[in-house]
Amino acid sequence: MRSHVSVLRLPRGPDPNGRGFDPNSPRFIALCPTTISASSETGTDSVQIREEQRARSALRESFLRTLIAMTNKQVQFHMHERVKVEAKFGASDIDVLNVQVSELHTPIGVQKEALLRCQDVISYSFDL
Amino acid sequence: TVVALFSNYLESLVNMAMRQTPLTCSGHTRPVVDLAFSGITPYGYFLISACKDGKPMLRQGDTGDWIGTFLGHKGAVWGATLNNEATKAATAAADFTAKVWDAVTGDEVLTLAHKHIVKSVNFTQDSSCLLTGGNDKIIRIYDLNKPEAEPQEITGHTSAIKKALWCNNDTQILSAADDKTVRLWDRNSTEVVKQLSFDMSVSSMEYIPDGEVLVITYGKTIAFYNALSLDMIKTVDAPASIHSASLHPDKDFFVAGGDDFKLYKFDYGTKEELESYKGHFGPVHCVRFSPDGELYASGSEDGTLRLWQTAVGKTYGLWKCVLPGEVFMLNSK
Repeated sequence: MRSHVSVLRLPRGPDPNGRGFDPNSPRFIALCPTTISASSETGTDSVQIREEQRARSALRESFLRTLIAMTNKQVQFHMHERVKVEAKFGASDIDVLNVQVSELHTPIGVQKEALLRCQDVISYSFDL
Repeated sequence: TVVALFSNYLESLVNMAMRQTPLTCSGHTRPVVDLAFSGITPYGYFLISACKDGKPMLRQGDTGDWIGTFLGHKGAVWGATLNNEATKAATAAADFTAKVWDAVTGDEVLTLAHKHIVKSVNFTQDSSCLLTGGNDKIIRIYDLNKPEAEPQEITGHTSAIKKALWCNNDTQILSAADDKTVRLWDRNSTEVVKQLSFDMSVSSMEYIPDGEVLVITYGKTIAFYNALSLDMIKTVDAPASIHSASLHPDKDFFVAGGDDFKLYKFDYGTKEELESYKGHFGPVHCVRFSPDGELYASGSEDGTLRLWQTAVGKTYGLWKCVLPGEVFMLNSK
């Protein structure tokens, strides 16, 4: 006749779209000094923080624009183990963990559709 | 106050009356083979799980809430650990590497190439060195401040190493291998100080620095040793083959799990089996008490982690003590 202990809710599971480590969590903000947070601004380094933020924003924007510019273009990927492949770039996922490509030319043949793991890619190049 | 005593009394009645509700942490897609807690940090304590799906996960220790997944390994992850502050993680994998991670950002910080499957990783108290062990039978010590330097190697085991742990204030190393031995090594001389031999392979090993206790499991036995002398303290037999056991920080209980999918809780002093819980759908591979002793976590072949209360019915984490019937707790404010 004993009843089960009550629980407030179940443990939260993984986010299917990302790898987690929320940069807005109190722990992340406190322990990652390079993270720019308005609350950590002081008079002395606010100029440096603003400049760093400007640079970060510019770099991030360029990167995102390259992803847009690459759509449907032929891209050469330089990967680990001296692998070089070429494919038509389709899209990347939101965390840029994987990219979707078509007509992937590999040393063992052409793959019609494929996902490339970004951590395996050292660099990529394409003509604008 | 009288009210506080009365509510404690009610809670203990509730403990006797309630059935354990384990909290299931899903997310892994293959068996969970190892897990480890951090120490208690200003942000609580944390739990890392090693899984054959190659994607170790970090969770908030008292709730089981997923924080992040360490992505990078290309094979099953056999061992995982956190440093005390939960700022660094280390993992051992079948892709012949051990990796060190930033446990706040989830970024991979270091990859340490080995010549075979790596099974075990362990940080020193100050996180400056990492101990690794695996199928190449060699224990290695990496200086994390000089990661390009060749690691110090300790040879001697004649079979794959299952677990290698720092002990005695990081001056010595304990290792368990498939050669059915547990060996105690001096870190500086790299020589073996003492050795235990068993009739069968040791399935798990846990080291408790406070009190220098070593918990070893083999067959259906949970054995407790003095970690400095390797003198046996006591052994307890369970109803089924045990894969892992953990001693409560206050050394009043220990928990064990194995082949029959159940979790067992024993009284350490009397060796009496107190409770057993069904819940997992596969053998239990690992079990550990949280650093505050309020809960224990188990990892199973079924791909889940489960959190279990030490004192069933107590309000803690996601568990809420709800008193039966119409009893109300008077607020003394």
